[in-house]
Amino acid sequence: MAESPARTAFADEALTHLDTLYRGALRLTRDPDQAQDLVQEAYLRALRYQHSYQAGTNMKAWLFAIMRNLFWDRFKGSHKDDVSLDDVNEFVLYDKLRDDGAKPEADVLDKLAASEVVKAVEQLPPLHREVVLLVDVEGFSYKDAAQTLGVPIGTVMSRLHRARQQLQKSLYDYALESGIVRHGSMKHSGSPRNHGEASDFVGPEQVPQQ
Amino acid sequence: MNCQDCSEKLDRYVDRELNNTEVLELKLHLEGCPGCEGQYEFQAHLKRLVRHACDCDTAPPAFREKLRQMLS
Repeated sequence: MAESPARTAFADEALTHLDTLYRGALRLTRDPDQAQDLVQEAYLRALRYQHSYQAGTNMKAWLFAIMRNLFWDRFKGSHKDDVSLDDVNEFVLYDKLRDDGAKPEADVLDKLAASEVVKAVEQLPPLHREVVLLVDVEGFSYKDAAQTLGVPIGTVMSRLHRARQQLQKSLYDYALESGIVRHGSMKHSGSPRNHGEASDFVGPEQVPQQ
Repeated sequence: MNCQDCSEKLDRYVDRELNNTEVLELKLHLEGCPGCEGQYEFQAHLKRLVRHACDCDTAPPAFREKLRQMLS
């Protein structure tokens, strides 16, 4: 195939984002071979549609969007909303650890194995997992994450909030099972969230979409 | 700002998504509220933990080379 300078420059720039795409694909598929297939297909599609990429805009976000759309097409069909975390109750690990008398609370985080953190991320429903990958792992702004996922910023915020709640719950369960913390050994008078009053916390689900 | 206002904005503070005025208000609250300050430090720590646990995977060199040849 004949090489053109424009094509080579595009490919070179696109490949600088390979690790981000590979990590994202790996976390979404949970399988290294499928991740490579997905990323390869994403790059081929990107090359085919490079005319639709506007130079100077966020190429990483553009490539990630192609990859995650392929993921949903290939692995999930059209059932994007098959799993919801809407019924996850407010769970604040910090408060929970204070209830359990674990001090300082952050020390518990340092005792968690990285593999367990990855496992907890991979157990999130894909719609929530991809937001954590973009915002927490790859450092995307809410705006860039929203554009990548094709959803309003408010949806990014609510999915992220739910995902973090679920993540904290999973990590707490692991910390209990592995003996890092013991359940309810010491109670305190109230969380910093509500200072002992009934919680009427309004989560980001209620934040107006920007 | 009270503790509940702070709690509602903590995600966006940790993600650096608040505007300058909101950041100043929140910082002022955190300085005078050890409970919320602890919650903030914990959330920021958790975010770093997730990033470090997940960002260590890189594309295998052979795969990178395969793509480079395919795209050139």
